Amino acid sequence: MSGDLLRQFHHHAREKAQDPAHRKTIRWAIDTYDAAVARGKTRFPDWEAARQRSYEIKWEAVNHLDRYLEEFEAKVIQRGGHVFWAADSGQARNYVLELARARGVKSVVKSKSMLTEEIALNPALEREGIKVWETDLGEFIVQLRHEPPYHIVTPAMHLSRGQVIDLFREKIPNDVIGDSHEELVAAARRALRREFFAADMGISGANFLVADTGMIAITTNEGNGRLCTSLPRIHVAFAGIEKVIPRLQDLATLWPVLATVGTGQHITAYSTLIGGPRTPQENDGPVEFHVVLLDNGRSRLLADSEQRDLLQCIRCGACLNACPVYRNIGGHAYGTVYQGPLGSVLTPALQGLAQYQHLSYASSLCGNCTSVCPVKIDLAHHLLHNRRNAVQEGDRPWRERLGMRLWRWAMMDRRRFQLAGRMGRALLRAFGGISVLKPWTESRELPPAPTMTFRERWRKNGAR
Amino acid sequence: MEHASQNPGAREEILSRVRAALKKTAQRREAIAPGPLFAPVANPLERFQAECAANFMETMLTPDSAATAAALQRVLASLPPGEIFLQDAPELRQLASAAAQGRSVRWSSAGAPAESSQATVSLCEALVAMTGSVLVSSAGCGGRGASVVAPCHIVVAHAVQLVLDLEAALARAGQIAFDNSYVGLISGSSRTADIEKRLIIGAHGPRRLVVIIEE
Repeated sequence: MSGDLLRQFHHHAREKAQDPAHRKTIRWAIDTYDAAVARGKTRFPDWEAARQRSYEIKWEAVNHLDRYLEEFEAKVIQRGGHVFWAADSGQARNYVLELARARGVKSVVKSKSMLTEEIALNPALEREGIKVWETDLGEFIVQLRHEPPYHIVTPAMHLSRGQVIDLFREKIPNDVIGDSHEELVAAARRALRREFFAADMGISGANFLVADTGMIAITTNEGNGRLCTSLPRIHVAFAGIEKVIPRLQDLATLWPVLATVGTGQHITAYSTLIGGPRTPQENDGPVEFHVVLLDNGRSRLLADSEQRDLLQCIRCGACLNACPVYRNIGGHAYGTVYQGPLGSVLTPALQGLAQYQHLSYASSLCGNCTSVCPVKIDLAHHLLHNRRNAVQEGDRPWRERLGMRLWRWAMMDRRRFQLAGRMGRALLRAFGGISVLKPWTESRELPPAPTMTFRERWRKNGAR
Repeated sequence: MEHASQNPGAREEILSRVRAALKKTAQRREAIAPGPLFAPVANPLERFQAECAANFMETMLTPDSAATAAALQRVLASLPPGEIFLQDAPELRQLASAAAQGRSVRWSSAGAPAESSQATVSLCEALVAMTGSVLVSSAGCGGRGASVVAPCHIVVAHAVQLVLDLEAALARAGQIAFDNSYVGLISGSSRTADIEKRLIIGAHGPRRLVVIIEE
């Protein structure tokens, strides 16, 4: 049942929307993002053409997924890497746990990967007594706070410098030498540098899987992704099956497009391709390279030709930043791994509509998510499709079903409609503060009920 | 462990589900006439230098190898004392004999860079004018850690290595992809904006990225 999740969502959403400090932090972050992206887009003579090309690349890949996955797999194996297919998160976790056991892995350094959040990898590794270090600064911060990422691109967007100072003073006191932004970054660098060199295994995600060369593409700015994938003796990369793209040349479009909508950069500092363990000609690097390809509900989503385009998502975070709901309630209120409009459609698709249908209503239907999406996913309509699907599957509460049936009955006849309108206005005037309206009236004033109906006004004033 | 696909049961299960799903075709949006993604690059070297400056990189133009050695020496002299890591290549062996006087040096043929390296000196595969990027590889440029472990990365390049855009850079990457476990486009110093969206240069990778271009 979705009751508990729904109640939690309402509770957290209300709490965050009314927290002025939170509002200030998130507004600053997203305004800064908006300005950078607007500047970044000016580098494209025709941004719509760039979106269209990105859409076509991902459409081609997703709609020929089997062919490109097999090509990618064959190339990785040819290069001396391992490819593990995981039908669900349990299989993916067990593969890496068994590998860690067999290789005597004591500590793991990770670069950012939302997929490992999806499969809850860190707790599984920690239960085995393996130390796990998130090395992206934002991820490191939320890991120290025992929180999930707040945003898929900017995990610690909800925190002020003051909160980070307090956190670092408590958790890594010996590495902190000052309170400025620079000194906080330096503290994290010092703390994590030891771990990079001590770790036995590096775990990364993958932004793209390049079929024609059998390489994974990873995009990072800090260089932590490079260190995670270069220093430990084993590298394991996790990717959803939808991450594959046909050609290396496609990155000439996707790299700048992802950088532009992700952070406003024209290209991310480290655009990295990795295709296997170190070769005999190389002086360093991991001796083992593993790619875990995860389904976990994606092939089911692929079968839904209406929402299949969700698999084109490149996890840029643009729809989160653009969403008025996200901007008001923030990332944690959703209670899901993926937040914002993307999360509100992807979570029901991967985990079941019955439990997560309430997210379809975390939308103002403004359509801003659809208009900013660089691969043209029709997010706004998918939110509506899920509302429709929930009704068709009989998942809505009886009061709503009854109300809708009455409304439909009233709407189908002019006299019934008139009568219902008259009764509604009378009720509003008599009991404006009734409890049914409380969710609306407790933080807003109800506009006064009109004294005249539209038809009466039309008769009086005519078509003016 | 064998170099083969693991978990064949799940592999077949996933691929057959994918094939079944794709029997139903999805709607494809109407194509619009694709224009060029970016405006053409007019003056590649000038553009490269301007983009590098925007990426917080340093560029130095030199007329010949003697000037390149002098430039390298100037950069090395500005660094704190400590070992430097060099790609073991004939060109760099020659340059270093003049430029690295008095410093302890570790060559890539001896293995990975030390944690305490003060700088890496390497060659590159290409320079990209449109984005101010350096294309590097593992076998061709000193290894996997060379370009990211030390706080300073010095790239010795030649003007003929300059390519116009990402398409040209990726074409070059494609040529070397199967001889290297790593190929990467590095576009500036390591950076982060994870705390309050404030841009800080020098996160986990090099704070300084210097490109010496011999014309």
